[in-house]
Amino acid sequence: MKGLRAALLCMALCSTLVSLAAAQDPVRILACEPEWAALAEEIGGDDVIVHSATHGRQDAHYIRARPSLIAKVRRADIVFCSGAELEVGWLPVLMQRGARQIVQPGQPGHIMAADHVTVLERPEVIDRSLGDIHPSGNPHVHLDPRNIATLADVLALRLVRIDPSRSDAYRERLSSFQARWADAMARWQGRLEHLRGMKVIVYHKSWTYLLHWAGLERVASLERTPGIPPTASQLAQVLEVAQDSDAKAILLAPFEPADAADWLFRKTAVPMVELPYTVGGHPEVQDLFSLFDVTLTLLQEAGDRP
Amino acid sequence: MKLVSNEIFGVARACVIGLAILVAASVAHSQPAPTTEELAEQIQILKHDYEKRIAELEAQVEALQGESRVADTVHAHTPVAQPSRQVADNSFNPAIGVVFNGMLSEYSEEQTGIPGFQLGHHGERPDEGLALGHSEITLSGNIDDKFFGNLTLGLGVHAGEPTELELEEAYIQTLPGAGLPDGMRVKAGRALWTFGYLNEQHQHADDFTDRPLPYRAFLDGHFNDDGLEVALVLPGDLYGEVGAGIFRGDDMPFGGSRDGRNAGSAYVRFGGDIGANSAWRIGGYVLDGKAYNRSGGHAHGHGEDDAHGHGEDAHAHEEHEEDEHGHEEDEHEEEEHAHEEDEHGHEEHEEHMDLAEFLSDGMFTGDSSLYAIDFRYTWAPTGNAKERELILQSEYFWRDESGEYVLQEEHEECTDPADHSTCEVHLDDVTESLSADSRGWYAQAIYKFHPNWRIGSRYSRLSTPNDAELSHDPYSLSAMIDWTNSEFGRIRFQYNRESFNGEDDDQFILQYIMSLGAHAAHSF
Repeated sequence: MKGLRAALLCMALCSTLVSLAAAQDPVRILACEPEWAALAEEIGGDDVIVHSATHGRQDAHYIRARPSLIAKVRRADIVFCSGAELEVGWLPVLMQRGARQIVQPGQPGHIMAADHVTVLERPEVIDRSLGDIHPSGNPHVHLDPRNIATLADVLALRLVRIDPSRSDAYRERLSSFQARWADAMARWQGRLEHLRGMKVIVYHKSWTYLLHWAGLERVASLERTPGIPPTASQLAQVLEVAQDSDAKAILLAPFEPADAADWLFRKTAVPMVELPYTVGGHPEVQDLFSLFDVTLTLLQEAGDRP
Repeated sequence: MKLVSNEIFGVARACVIGLAILVAASVAHSQPAPTTEELAEQIQILKHDYEKRIAELEAQVEALQGESRVADTVHAHTPVAQPSRQVADNSFNPAIGVVFNGMLSEYSEEQTGIPGFQLGHHGERPDEGLALGHSEITLSGNIDDKFFGNLTLGLGVHAGEPTELELEEAYIQTLPGAGLPDGMRVKAGRALWTFGYLNEQHQHADDFTDRPLPYRAFLDGHFNDDGLEVALVLPGDLYGEVGAGIFRGDDMPFGGSRDGRNAGSAYVRFGGDIGANSAWRIGGYVLDGKAYNRSGGHAHGHGEDDAHGHGEDAHAHEEHEEDEHGHEEDEHEEEEHAHEEDEHGHEEHEEHMDLAEFLSDGMFTGDSSLYAIDFRYTWAPTGNAKERELILQSEYFWRDESGEYVLQEEHEECTDPADHSTCEVHLDDVTESLSADSRGWYAQAIYKFHPNWRIGSRYSRLSTPNDAELSHDPYSLSAMIDWTNSEFGRIRFQYNRESFNGEDDDQFILQYIMSLGAHAAHSF
């Protein structure tokens, strides 16, 4: 048992050193997706350190529970995610391994966006043969700007609770953000006027909230079974639908495979439009405001085509 | 709001059910003499009726709850605790998962042991032809706010033997809400303990159909002794985790625990990201303890089980008997686990037994220390591991054992050499004190080139103990391709070239692995 004893001693030493090195810091926020990281930066400003578990060209459904993320959860004061099972493949592992009390469900540091807004597309039947479905409904809630406003309130409240000493700063940033957001929403409403009713084809159900808010009409979905790439016969059915409708665009997120959309484009000449989906999903999209600005511009361009 | 609506719903449900029973009773009384079929039919109609009403009520409650959620959002300014959903598979019932595993295997050579190593059930190759691999049933869930529980049953099927039910895991683990310091967790019971990379995961999650050689030779597939483990994730920007465990000492590489706490472990792990799309982890592990009468078949200290673990040896021996000693079969059939050398008589056995035989077929009592280093690197070129990904993984093992190896030798003693009926069979223990260092390692690369397709290759090798005077180091070279329909279903084809004692065994294996129901998220 000599080797074991030496190893234990070495471990004790290591842990003490690392613990000493870790000092008190500003509020640490781990966002599961870039949109929530961007919102956290708007409200938290310099008083928070924000890290996003995924980047703009990553599909948040399927990332690995990387060691670095366990370390992030271990030190986080707030974990800010979409919820509704979007992160079910990796977040539970991080929460369990990181074992940080304040970010556990029911604690102030645990924010799941889908818990605070009206969730669309709750399935009536739940079965694995239907693919990778979300029993709690569609989790891509951030693409309705009204939901962003709601979550800004939620986050500010939590920050005030966790870090009361800087509550004035959080409140100030919240009201400034809400004012700017309300202006932007008014502006976007104006631009939406001649987009309403535009027919689109989507890849995955990532766009439900955007379509719902902007009043666009989905005529077909390339990915019939969520999480499973479309088969040839499914594509043939989509083709039939697409030819009968006057769809203006095939909407695609940066992380969605382009091959099926490209095939449909070549068959029907309906253009593929890659929308930013989230912050960082397009070179010009660096915050939440430009996310919707660029999205509407791209949709408008598609709609204006004959 | 939610509380009130739930109450209304509860009362309404009770009323409807009560009413249904009353009506059923009165119907039963008022009619002359309804047959049981009629009664059953009426109850069925009533049941249908109230189920419909309950469904309507549920819809109403749902609508009310939807409204209250909207209302909550509107009043988000009031500082109340926000409703939170558990990040869990299931709230009340345990999550149930079943893993199906089947294989079609073709081998070019007879199965042999690995000279110089004891090999158990899990270390052997699967049965040739069509065969079921390990099926698994898992029940898991949160016990309360502080504990999580998991039970995994493995159903092993081997040709000619009854289905073997193995308790692979039965553990409880603290939840982050248990009140332990941040980053700490405690696991107790029987579990796939933290040792190297593969040991913690169930074999169905592996990238190849079989475990690499060091796992087969040193751990009999996996180390899942009974015990307790404490782990602590260190606070820091770099991921760091330390842990230590204490175990019974009944499972390979130990066995026959004397006082129920004969082994211990310790480990340290670090990990991090390189850029946005790649990650790494490295770890060092020690597993240290005592083994008592450990034999290859089962590491539980029962000599009789030896025949079990060395089915192939016993088989070869039987044939031998038939050829040369057919007339003695009656006397010998109980001693199948004895060795071929015995047939040649007592005088000769000394020169026939080499050290390798003690190491692979003897019963070991002594100290066993196993050290391991593991490394894993993942790279997803686009950031999306679902599309394309490269995984490199390697582990190095070093085992240090010293103690006594006992071989049971069978020989005949005859009072009258001319008369065979006067002969008696004796079992002698032959003991050898040995100190044996052995090493093993493997390295593998897996590349996902299409969302549904992966290819991979692995090389694993063992270095037999120097004392064993064997010129050949066992190795295995594997190549695989697998097709993944969804997260829950996979079909794999694998080719192995396995060489344990100089003979190359070409193996072709076609395998399916499907999981039904709850499916634990895999860690990095």
